[in-house]
Amino acid sequence: MGSTITANRLTDGVVVWHDGQRGWTTDRAEAALLEGEALDGLLARVRRDDQQLAVDIRGVEIEDGVPAEYRERLRAQGPSVRGDLLRKGHDWAEGPFPPPPSRSHSSPHAGIYRYDEADREFLRQRAAQFGNQVERRLKGELNEEEFKPLRLMNGLYLQLHGYMLRVAIPYGVLSSTQLRQMAYIARHYDRGYGHFTTRQNIQFNWPRLTDTPEILRLLAEADIHGIQTSGNCVRNVTTDQYAGAAADEVVDPRLYAEILRQYSTDHPEFTYLPRKFKIAITGSEQDRAAIRVHDIGLIARRNPAGEVGFELHAGGGLGRTPIIATKLRDWLPAQDLLRYVEAVLRVYNALGRRDNIYKARIKILIRETGAEEFRRMVEAEFAALPADYALLTDDLLAAVGARFEEPPFQALPEAAPAFDAALAQLPGFSDWVARNTHPHRVPGYISATVTLKPAGGIPGDATAEEMELIAGLSEQYSFGELRVSHEQNLILPHVEKEALPVLYAALRKAGLADANAGLVTNIIACPGMDYCALATARAIPVAQRLSERFAAREAEIGPLDLNISGCINACGQHHIGHIGLLGVNRNGEEVYQITLGGASDEQAAIGGIIGPAVPSEDVPDAIGKIVDAYVARRTEGERFIDTYRRLGAAPFKEAVYGAH
Amino acid sequence: MALIDIAGREIPADDRVPLALEELPEGQGLAVLLPAGTLAEEVAPLLPRLALVVVEFPKFRDGRGFTLGRALRERHGFTGDIRAAGHVIPDQLALLRQCGFSSIATPAEHPPAQWQGLKDPTQRQLLQRLLGGEGVARAQA
Ligand code: HEM
Ligand code: SF4
Repeated sequence: MGSTITANRLTDGVVVWHDGQRGWTTDRAEAALLEGEALDGLLARVRRDDQQLAVDIRGVEIEDGVPAEYRERLRAQGPSVRGDLLRKGHDWAEGPFPPPPSRSHSSPHAGIYRYDEADREFLRQRAAQFGNQVERRLKGELNEEEFKPLRLMNGLYLQLHGYMLRVAIPYGVLSSTQLRQMAYIARHYDRGYGHFTTRQNIQFNWPRLTDTPEILRLLAEADIHGIQTSGNCVRNVTTDQYAGAAADEVVDPRLYAEILRQYSTDHPEFTYLPRKFKIAITGSEQDRAAIRVHDIGLIARRNPAGEVGFELHAGGGLGRTPIIATKLRDWLPAQDLLRYVEAVLRVYNALGRRDNIYKARIKILIRETGAEEFRRMVEAEFAALPADYALLTDDLLAAVGARFEEPPFQALPEAAPAFDAALAQLPGFSDWVARNTHPHRVPGYISATVTLKPAGGIPGDATAEEMELIAGLSEQYSFGELRVSHEQNLILPHVEKEALPVLYAALRKAGLADANAGLVTNIIACPGMDYCALATARAIPVAQRLSERFAAREAEIGPLDLNISGCINACGQHHIGHIGLLGVNRNGEEVYQITLGGASDEQAAIGGIIGPAVPSEDVPDAIGKIVDAYVARRTEGERFIDTYRRLGAAPFKEAVYGAH
Repeated sequence: MALIDIAGREIPADDRVPLALEELPEGQGLAVLLPAGTLAEEVAPLLPRLALVVVEFPKFRDGRGFTLGRALRERHGFTGDIRAAGHVIPDQLALLRQCGFSSIATPAEHPPAQWQGLKDPTQRQLLQRLLGGEGVARAQA
């Protein structure tokens, strides 16, 4: 019995222990075991004196020589799902490194927003500013409480084992050069991999604080950044992964997402909001951006005159209080977009709760004031803006729109003989096409999904080598353009149908041709306790067991969204999975609550809990029973979610828990 | 509590004692102290009698003061001194300026020296260029 004192080292985030005399050590065996006054005294002293050496200083209870809490044992050991890393210990590559890819690559045709020197200079200055903030933190001019929001606004978190850097992939669009630059960061400044998230970001799990300004500077050279990927500000605006490519698209949302990005970056009034603020936008009727669970959700449409406008929703969100958004406007003319968003943000900034972070999101404000009253306040604010203020004029739209270049599509013939032949002959190809492609607006082209969900793999993780390989394929087959989807996959948006068989063969060779987009094994999962300091359970191992278990049956089961979160914060969006799993801690045991009936699309719904939580190791059996119950009851071609909507939860409850 | 102007330069101390809204006497050229959470509408009728508005930031993370400052300056056309007080940090100087603040009562742990010579890139490049001129901030005549 007793406790040891632990912390993360300020400069690099490495987990350290106090030896009771000389100071901090990375070897837990040297940690002093303390009790009572000795513990309290040392804790008080290091909290006062070691501010510039360590962060998150606290005592950890020890039982039988190991930390009593599972989280602390994991913290001492590293992620349970990456035994390979643990053995290597903490070693960062030593420079000098080769020149970054941004020096030699350019992706001239990718449909990213084209930076000019002014845009680029802005990112360089932001990276330099962060360098200055890090210096002031190390010198003690900024304490951790002050520094934390500043680092968060640059995407730098402190997780369980160290720092984590979240880099935005604005509205999910990136070029092959940018992906190569990310691979370069992963290889030289991290530990060889990155994690793509449901919010179209990438996370690096092992950067050093002292390297971060340099990482941001390197990202700036490829026109990417971590600005506002965290913190209580407007976050990365997300959209449909097929934006600008999909055949069913009405309005290309990238233009409006980019305008919102520029508008919200360092917004003087809205950078210290009550809580984070997430905006999503879709330009097709089929909602692939989950807009109804965002703080502001936008559906771009055209009126009969062909003009663009938005249906605007607000106050959706997940976390501990999942709420489907309230519709504020059926039609908002495009020119008023920023004006209306500003009115919503202003009411929220002035009135959102700041006394309790769990009640600080806009969804709670809307619920507490009532939708009608909230709408009235927003409309009043909107009406009081000067008439010419922040209008999206045609000139402005044209100027930003001109930065998105149309790829040089060819006029392709209707017939695609190689494609047709491969459908009939190439093993696995027709399944892959059926699930992993989406119709393109230009005849002869198609969008192809590379799922990062191999059976038994870590959802959303990609190694530096995989990133480079996929970047190379995008250069060969998709104008050097890529997308990240909210399902944590990568997409080659503009592939010639005739080239698809060759692309498929190349992906297959690299082990990246799983035909599981939209299926039960395409699991969305948050990092859970293997990485996250807030977690109550490990989400990744459950995802791994489920994908292994169902890989052989995925085709038979058909379309099914399965989402897993490692705690109530719901980063894995379990509430909106057709099947959702929430990991909680029940007396030291990892158990999972099962929800059914959630959906993120036009018929967005929050899933309902079907019964008591089941132990982690029993989850695959429980899901197996749910799936069997569905397969036994479905009508011809009926999806899981439709069977659920038709029959309700009863047959599934019975399948899992037995009849009562 | 040293004072600085909105360019970060130290300015002479100010012996006016700002009063709470409800304690305001008759007269002109008054100084008022607005706690966080005050809405612009509550102050607007009094503005013609005020020379100094002190907006309190209980924590630098509490951004209500930005909305209040901007509303007083832009919506209600206040031309007097708007001062930030409480816990604000040098990294917020540019935001304060753009939200209409004209002076800052610096907190003890961030003396005037820290507010000078900061590389401050937040010159609103993106927003300014997007919307033209001062971006969202428009000085009122
Ligand atoms: C260090 C890692 C992370 C931390 C500390 C973290 C923290 C949080 C917290 C506290 C919330 C709840 C917000 C609220 O209810 O107000 C949340 C929500 C959310 N996060 Fe994370 N998160 C992390 C990683 C991720 C990852 C990896 C993803 C994507 C896979 C993600 C996506 C989301 C989403 C989609 C939500 C719910 C939507 C909403 O905001 O209501 N987060 N996160
Ligand atoms: S859901 Fe919980 S465990 Fe998972 S990433 Fe979010 S905060 Fe961490």
